[in-house]
Amino acid sequence: MSQSVSITVAKPVAETRRSRFTFTKGIVFAFFGILLVTQLYPLIWLLIYSLKTNEEILSGNFFALPSVWQWSNYSAAVEGGNYWKYLGNSVLVTSVTMVCVILLASLTAFAITRFRWKYGQVVLLIFLLGMMIPMQGTLLPLMIMFKNIDILNTHLSLILPYIAFQTPIAVFILSGFMKTIPQEIEESAIMDGAGVFRIFGSIVLPVSIPPIMTVCILAFINIWNEYIMAATFISAEKLKTLPFGVYSFVSQYSVNYGAIGAFLVLGALPVILIYFLLAEKITKGMVAGAVKG
Amino acid sequence: MNVLKVSRWTIAAFVLPCLLLYVILVFVPIIVSFYNGMLDWNGIGTSKFVGLSNFDKMFTNDAYFWPSVRRTFLLAGFSMLVQLPIALFVAILISRYVRKTGFLVSSYFLPVILSVVVIGQLWKTIYNPASMGGMINQILIKLGLDSWTHSWLTEPKVAIYSIILVALWQYLGYHILIQFTGIQNIPADIYEAAKIDGAEGFKADRYITLPLIVPIFKISVVLSFIGSLQSFDLIMVMTGGGPAHATDVISSHMYNMSFLSMKYGYGSAIACFLVVVCLAATLFINLLFNRLDKRFS
Repeated sequence: MSQSVSITVAKPVAETRRSRFTFTKGIVFAFFGILLVTQLYPLIWLLIYSLKTNEEILSGNFFALPSVWQWSNYSAAVEGGNYWKYLGNSVLVTSVTMVCVILLASLTAFAITRFRWKYGQVVLLIFLLGMMIPMQGTLLPLMIMFKNIDILNTHLSLILPYIAFQTPIAVFILSGFMKTIPQEIEESAIMDGAGVFRIFGSIVLPVSIPPIMTVCILAFINIWNEYIMAATFISAEKLKTLPFGVYSFVSQYSVNYGAIGAFLVLGALPVILIYFLLAEKITKGMVAGAVKG
Repeated sequence: MNVLKVSRWTIAAFVLPCLLLYVILVFVPIIVSFYNGMLDWNGIGTSKFVGLSNFDKMFTNDAYFWPSVRRTFLLAGFSMLVQLPIALFVAILISRYVRKTGFLVSSYFLPVILSVVVIGQLWKTIYNPASMGGMINQILIKLGLDSWTHSWLTEPKVAIYSIILVALWQYLGYHILIQFTGIQNIPADIYEAAKIDGAEGFKADRYITLPLIVPIFKISVVLSFIGSLQSFDLIMVMTGGGPAHATDVISSHMYNMSFLSMKYGYGSAIACFLVVVCLAATLFINLLFNRLDKRFS
């Protein structure tokens, strides 16, 4: 009996609430939709643009799909623009940097959090201080330094500063994690006769995979997209990384609009593909990087 | 207390490679910069020590310096007063109305991970004159608003706002994501308790979400402020500081002075100014929010 009463009472309340909900909800979702269009439409527009002929682009029908999909724009971009060369350079520079950052930063973080010594916190503070230093301030002195030791215009002149600028956040994230590893693990490892390097290599490093992933993602996004140092320290065509390659292609082929669009799409493609695969990891990593930075 | 007792050499082996690389490539250059800022030097020939005269010239006798500072802060202002509130609003709406948030949030976030070169060139194409296939001008002509068309990046008065729009567009998703994550980390039982006390909907946002989001909002503010101060790639890619310095910000002015005009000493002086402003800004924002935090708690 009481059940039926409660149902009859509950029903109208739920109904009015639902109807009010749908109205505001409609407005809110329309707003989300508009925002989605503004955030994504420029990219879709670029994709369509890259498949049009010059005439179609200039005709002013920006909504229209191309009548014949001009895949030749892409072959023009790949062949005329050294795409594979730039891509290879970017992969090389980024992967070497990432490996070095992880290795160096995790060694340091391990020392800061697990060794019994006085200056751990001081070292951490030094790294923290550096996070506030703008990269642009070091551009000129680094260039002179690299010129003097004769590594200007080599990949090393990119890899070294990239490592240096990624280490602070990496050390910070990793030491934050390693602090939480229980000490009993080391104690029992010492009992079993494992040395420091052994503890680091076969216990701490494997456990730290999640924060290492975060560090990887941050480093990848930052280094893969870095343009100013690449444009300042590298001048040889065959050493350019992808962002710089995109820039030089655009300034050289200023009349073939479709091919420019195609090259921009190709320039964005690697990151977008990785983003499709790892979207959630990447967004989480970027937030972790921001929050801890 | 840390357990591992190790020799000095082991500590050195673990810490020094990283620390040395870092100090040599980040700290030493900044210190060198301060010294170079006192030189009259073109980077190749002999240098002359001129004391603080570069700084003097920068503050009093450089027609492009203060305007570039003003534009830098204009960008920071737009970012903090327009972009961040919108992001917070969107984040609140998403957390209230959307059940499966993954798609929406990661779509908004997509522009953030793209290279500034791609973004800059893409928007350059969008801003192009209609005769060159530019989208915005073509839309305006279609709508019959021919008089509203501009050459967005070459008219001195409009150009800087065109660039600011792109910067706001690209990083909106980042701030939405940060603040959305912040809201999600607020424990649900606080809202439930508030519901019992009669606070629901926007009232709950006013008294729960806003105060509790302050620490995360601070991160957004720091990121947007420091990001604006260092905004550089976008301007170099889109206009290079032109037309006639109309879009110069501090860092692009520094770059053009050092690498195009070959005034290394003077460029270093501007770089020092930038470093000092960045450090001061971070300190200031932290102090401000510490106060704010105290008032709320």
